[in-house]
Amino acid sequence: MSKYFTNIYETVNTLWTGMRITWRHMIHIKRDNVTLQYPEERWPRPERNIGFDHKDYNVIRSRLHVDIDDCIGCLKCERACPVDCITINTIKAPNRGEDISDIGHTGETSNGTKKAMVVSRFTIDMSECCYCNLCVYPCPEECIFMVGGPNSSKHPIDYEFSQFDRKDLIYQFAKKLTPDQKKTIDDPKPEVEA
Amino acid sequence: MTVDFLMDWFATIGDFPILAFILAVIISGIPLFLLMALNAMVAVYAERKVSAFMMDRIGPMGQGPGLHAGKWGLLQTVADAIKLLIKEDTIPQKSDKLLFKMAPFIIFIGAFLGLAAVPFSSSLQVADFNVGVFYIIAVGSIGVIGIIMAGWSSNNKWSLYGAMRSAAQIISYEIPAGLSIIVPIMMAGTMNLQTMIQFQSGSIWGILPNWIIFNNPFTFLAFFIFFISAVAETNRTPFDIPEAESELVAGWMTEYSGFRWAVFFLSEYSNMLVVSGLAVAGFLGGWQSPIPGMFDSPGWGLFWFMGKVIFLIFVMMWFRWTFPRLRVDQLMHVCWKVFIPIAMFNIFGVGIWKLIIG
Repeated sequence: MSKYFTNIYETVNTLWTGMRITWRHMIHIKRDNVTLQYPEERWPRPERNIGFDHKDYNVIRSRLHVDIDDCIGCLKCERACPVDCITINTIKAPNRGEDISDIGHTGETSNGTKKAMVVSRFTIDMSECCYCNLCVYPCPEECIFMVGGPNSSKHPIDYEFSQFDRKDLIYQFAKKLTPDQKKTIDDPKPEVEA
Repeated sequence: MTVDFLMDWFATIGDFPILAFILAVIISGIPLFLLMALNAMVAVYAERKVSAFMMDRIGPMGQGPGLHAGKWGLLQTVADAIKLLIKEDTIPQKSDKLLFKMAPFIIFIGAFLGLAAVPFSSSLQVADFNVGVFYIIAVGSIGVIGIIMAGWSSNNKWSLYGAMRSAAQIISYEIPAGLSIIVPIMMAGTMNLQTMIQFQSGSIWGILPNWIIFNNPFTFLAFFIFFISAVAETNRTPFDIPEAESELVAGWMTEYSGFRWAVFFLSEYSNMLVVSGLAVAGFLGGWQSPIPGMFDSPGWGLFWFMGKVIFLIFVMMWFRWTFPRLRVDQLMHVCWKVFIPIAMFNIFGVGIWKLIIG
C-alpha cells in the first residue's frame, strides 16, 4: 500500500522536474537557441590549415574559377581533368599578342605572355567536377584555381553555389562569339605593309 | 448571444417560431464555427512555437507579413490551411466509402456541439442548459463513434489499431473525468454551468478567489485528475497512443488527407477548447476575475475565461513537449488503478466536507 503512494509521489515529482526543465528552456530561448536561419545567417567558416605551407597549396576546394583574360588556351587543364568536365575551344589568333577590341580579347596576359589563341569557349561543368585540384597545377599562367584560400582577396570563397537547374552548374568563362566575330578572326584584315 | 435570447427577440418582431429557431441557431452557430477555425489557427501556431522554444529551436519563421522571411512566421498556419484545402482529396479504393466520408463530420459535430454549452461570459453562451456539464461530457463521446468509423472504413491496419486504442482510451478516461467533475457539481449543487460559476464568486479569507479548486483539498486533487483525464480524452501526448507516430504512422488518420484531415485537426483543437472550458468553468471560477471584486463585467468575463482556457491549453502543450508517450498497459494502469480510486475517494471526501464544514 505504501508502495502505491510512493509511486504516485515519485511520478508527480519526476513529471514536475521534467516540466521545470522544458519551462526553463522555453523562457531562455533567446540564449539557448541553436537554429541559424540559413540564407540570412551562416555558421562562421572554420579556419583551415592543411599542407606544409598553407600559402603554397591552394587547398581550399570550393569552386573552380578561370581568369579568362590570362588564359592562353593551352588546353593543359582540359587534359589534366580526370572527369573531363573542362571543355575548351580555341581559334588561332590572327596576330600573336595583339588585342582584338571587337571581341574583348586582350593580347597579353598579366604575366606578359603573348597569346597565340583566342579562347572561344571555356566551360567547366561543376556538377561533374570532383574537386581533385589537378587542373590547377599544370596551368602556366596560374589562371585556373579554386576560389578562396590564398587568393580569397581576389575571389571570395563560394562553397554553396547552388542552382535550381543542373544546366546552371556549367560555368561559362569565355565570352561567347557570334559567327560574325568568328569570321573576323578567321579572315583577318590584310595588314598594310609599310 | 444565447439562443433563447435571440428567440425572445424574434418573438417581439413577429410570430414565426420555427423560422426564428432556425435563424437563432444559425446566428449563434456561425461565431462558434469562426471561433473553432480561429482557435485551430492560433493554437497550431502557438503549439509549433511552444514546441520549438522548449527544444531550443525557433519554429516557423518563413511565412509572415512581408511574405518570405517575414515576421516570426505569423502567417504560417494560413499557408498550411491553404495547402490543406487545395490538396488532393484521396479516398482509398478498398475503403468503405460512405463511412470514410462521414467520419470527419461526425467527429466535427462532436466537437462543435460541445462548444455550444461553453460559458464564455456571463451573457455569452450559446445554450444555457440545466444539465450543461452532463451535456458536454455526453457530447464529447460522440467523437469516439467517428474515430471508430474512420479507423474501420480506412481498411488499414494502422487505422484500425489506432481507432481501437482510441476508443478504449476515451471510454476509460471518461470515467475518472466524470467522477471528478461530480465534485464541483456536489459543491455547487447544480449542473448548470452559469450557476456553477456564480457559486464561485467572492473570496476565501479575502485573499484567494473562491474557486472550487481552492475550496478544499479534495477539489484540488479532483481538478488535476479531471484535467489529466481531459488531456487523455483529447488524444494528446502523453496519451497519444491512438496516433502514435512511431508505431501507427498517424493512427486512425492515416488514410485521410486534405480537407478531411483538416476537419480532424479542427475538431481535435476545439476539443481541447471544450475540455479546458469545462475545467475552467468547473474548477477555476469560469469568467470570475482572479482578483475578487475587481474587473467583474461581461467583457472582462470573456477576457478572464479565455485567458484561463488559453493557459490550460498552454499547459496541455507543455505536457506534450515534456512527457514521453505511455504504453497501452501503463495508460490503463493509470486510469483504472490510480485515477478511479482517487476520484471515488474524492467524492466521498467532498461529501464529508460538505456535511461537516459546509
